[in-house]
Amino acid sequence: MASPAEHTMAARRKPNGLTILLHKSARLLVGLAILSLVWEGAVQLLGIKPSYLPRLSMILMGMAATPRAYVDGFVRTLAETLIGFVTGGTFGVLTGIVFFRMRALKEMVLPIFVVSQTIPVIAFGALVVLWFGNTLLAKAVIAFYLTFFPVTVNTLLGLETVDPKQVALMRSFGASKWQLLVRLQLPTALPQIFVALRLACSLSLVGAIVGEWFGDTTGLGVLLLQAMFTENVVAIWGALLASALLGTTFYAVVAAAERRLVFWSAEQ
Amino acid sequence: MTGLAAPPLALQRGILGAVLLIACWEGLARGLHLPAYVLPAVSDILATIWSKRALLGNAAGYTLLEALVGYAAGSLIGAGLAVAITLVPALRAVILPAATAINSVPVVGYSPLILLWFGIGVASKVVMVAMTVSFTVFLSMLAGLDRVDRRAVDLMRSFGSGRFSTLWRLRLPTALPLLLAGMRVSTVRSVIVAIVTEMLGAYGGLGWVIYQAVLQIDFVQVWSAIFVASAASLAFFGLVGFLERKILFWT
Amino acid sequence: MSIFMPSRRHAVAVLAAVAVAASSLTAAAPAAAADLTKASLRLKWLPQAQFAGFYVAVAKGYYKAEGIDLTINPGGPNLLAENLVATGADTFGLSGGTDSVFAARDKGLPIVCIGVSHQITPFIFVTRKDGPVKTLQDFKGKTVTTWFTGANHVLNGMLAKEGIKPEDVNIQPQQVSVTPFVEGNVDVITATYYNEFYSIQSRMPRDGLKTFVAEDYGITFPRDTLIVAETTAKDKPELVKAFLRASLKGWKDAFTDPKGAVDTVMAVAPTLDRAQQEFMLTEVKRLMTAGKAGDNGLFWIDLDAVKTAHDFFLKYGVISKPVDLSTAYDASFIASIPLSDRRP
Repeated sequence: MASPAEHTMAARRKPNGLTILLHKSARLLVGLAILSLVWEGAVQLLGIKPSYLPRLSMILMGMAATPRAYVDGFVRTLAETLIGFVTGGTFGVLTGIVFFRMRALKEMVLPIFVVSQTIPVIAFGALVVLWFGNTLLAKAVIAFYLTFFPVTVNTLLGLETVDPKQVALMRSFGASKWQLLVRLQLPTALPQIFVALRLACSLSLVGAIVGEWFGDTTGLGVLLLQAMFTENVVAIWGALLASALLGTTFYAVVAAAERRLVFWSAEQ
Repeated sequence: MTGLAAPPLALQRGILGAVLLIACWEGLARGLHLPAYVLPAVSDILATIWSKRALLGNAAGYTLLEALVGYAAGSLIGAGLAVAITLVPALRAVILPAATAINSVPVVGYSPLILLWFGIGVASKVVMVAMTVSFTVFLSMLAGLDRVDRRAVDLMRSFGSGRFSTLWRLRLPTALPLLLAGMRVSTVRSVIVAIVTEMLGAYGGLGWVIYQAVLQIDFVQVWSAIFVASAASLAFFGLVGFLERKILFWT
Repeated sequence: MSIFMPSRRHAVAVLAAVAVAASSLTAAAPAAAADLTKASLRLKWLPQAQFAGFYVAVAKGYYKAEGIDLTINPGGPNLLAENLVATGADTFGLSGGTDSVFAARDKGLPIVCIGVSHQITPFIFVTRKDGPVKTLQDFKGKTVTTWFTGANHVLNGMLAKEGIKPEDVNIQPQQVSVTPFVEGNVDVITATYYNEFYSIQSRMPRDGLKTFVAEDYGITFPRDTLIVAETTAKDKPELVKAFLRASLKGWKDAFTDPKGAVDTVMAVAPTLDRAQQEFMLTEVKRLMTAGKAGDNGLFWIDLDAVKTAHDFFLKYGVISKPVDLSTAYDASFIASIPLSDRRP
């Protein structure tokens, strides 16, 4: 039975969530500041031509000159990415469960999934746009297409790592198949699923950007393509920075979700 | 025991799945009289692959060359960086954040930049593939090198083994499985990245063929090129998997 | 052993939150008024002043006034307007040119041309005046870059007329950048008046260049063709006419207020170079008001020029069989609009 004094000391030693967040943000900002200075300095000192690597300040000024394009583009691409991610992830988990339950179906359909992933998405994109027109749906389909497969594979992998002894134990308590799935198998598979979801972040972003190359009106991929065909290297870098921001933030959110959910389920 | 054993059940089911898919496709395309620009029939696609095999073969060779060279370069760079970090731990703080930052943009996003820098020749595709592969291989190799048991390292040190020796005799063999897994995964991505870049500008290759076919409204050709691309990726994947098994068997 | 339930609830909650966020971000634009017809126009390339009139018409609400809720979808490197209009993905298209319309009809795509924007060939072949190429015959063995989206047919046709086979010339796909030509790695480059020619002249003096113009060789290839699907032309003639009326208004405004037009285009594609866009609009105006358009107004279909181009392509094997021009080109829509509205 710890004394009140010992409790207080223990509490003070353990940093709370907010402090951790502040520490991390501070480190991140310092890191970014250093990177920015290095970028500016290196380009100036080494005399790198702007057609290769413009100064960071030039890029930021270029972005600030037309902020709406980047903001609208960011939001639009984010939307397409999210939809692709959610649909791809959900479909991936569902098919993983189905394949886990029905071996015959898995052996029939999984090879087709595998082959589908060897189809170059950009070729597929040309066809998707023909079928679905210039809609959010078309872009989401492309993002979905890239996202679902790793999630399916990892869900399957995760479900297969469940300890048969635990399954037997739950069965002995009269657990139904549904309860077995929801209370034991899925939580056990969750870490593996999240590995795939983290990968899926960047894949759905790729899908969104490539999808936008097929005649979309707004989006970071659109900005990228326009800048390429006007040889505007500063604008290309602007679009790349915005994409990096989008990708990193999205990944951080998913990784944070993973820490919370997987942390919880690992607490057993 | 001689005689032909029946193929395993999984294989049979896999083939059945493929056959059903193709049958549905063919039925849909023919039954609904779908025009070629919506969905051509599988039989038409296969016929075109045969009749245009010289063109498609050349294009596949062109793309595979880009993918292979980029793959080799990327693997060397990725593995090299991982080894560098292991030998000089101070580099980790520099290389890892830089690599993560560069990779936070999806690799295809860089293709406009790379195309402007390197032109629409083979060089730009090789660079794109190398970028894609190097990051995956780098992470896999690093994970492999990192997971070496500290105690094993200490044991080797106690025998007077230097850094290089430890690397060669202990870390590399331990890292091999993860490295090879990363390399296996990168094969298909190599071909896809090469094709994606080709579609934005190239002198040849499967992406170029697809680009031409779209503009010439020859959708059977588009699908033919897609089939060939798929086959090429699977062949590359199979080849590397085969080599991997051989190497792992050796060590 | 007990599985801590909040993990599942958390997962569901997170997924639900994400789904809600996604759907709110993509919340449909306020529903258009019930009497507006939704339609889309697919351009042949990325947004630029070449399409200014359409963007002006949207910005000033001319399409809405005619009852059309129009979305302008840009084209790009992997898109062909004919394909998208044929599948119904887009209602209208501004496609490559008379050559691509022939090619599409040749392949059985059910599209109809309802107007022609550029009355004369908008691109030329450019080489250095002090270089080795002085006549078309000199193209033999040289490196010529062109686009394989229609300009290559023009090049092949012009060469064929001189008795030169395409195999005798090193024809390469043209890059985005004009740098290879400026640096001397490419002998002959294809340049549109309004785009590449500007880029080249900003790096090389005009009098150091020699140009090959199709019209000098007796041929004209009208380009930038407005197309619709056959079904649209048949079932919705009023929609087609309304679209043309509003577009004409937009283009006339673009010509009278070029600065404002460029502003509108720059708002859509902010990374464009303003000076180049203004130059582009001037050149585009020249192309759109050339030939028969002088008398008959914008988007006029000069059937004689179309027939000549058709016969040219047929003769030199660009199309495999004759195209029925009366079904491929329908001038009735543009003709139904009063001349005063069509004249800029």
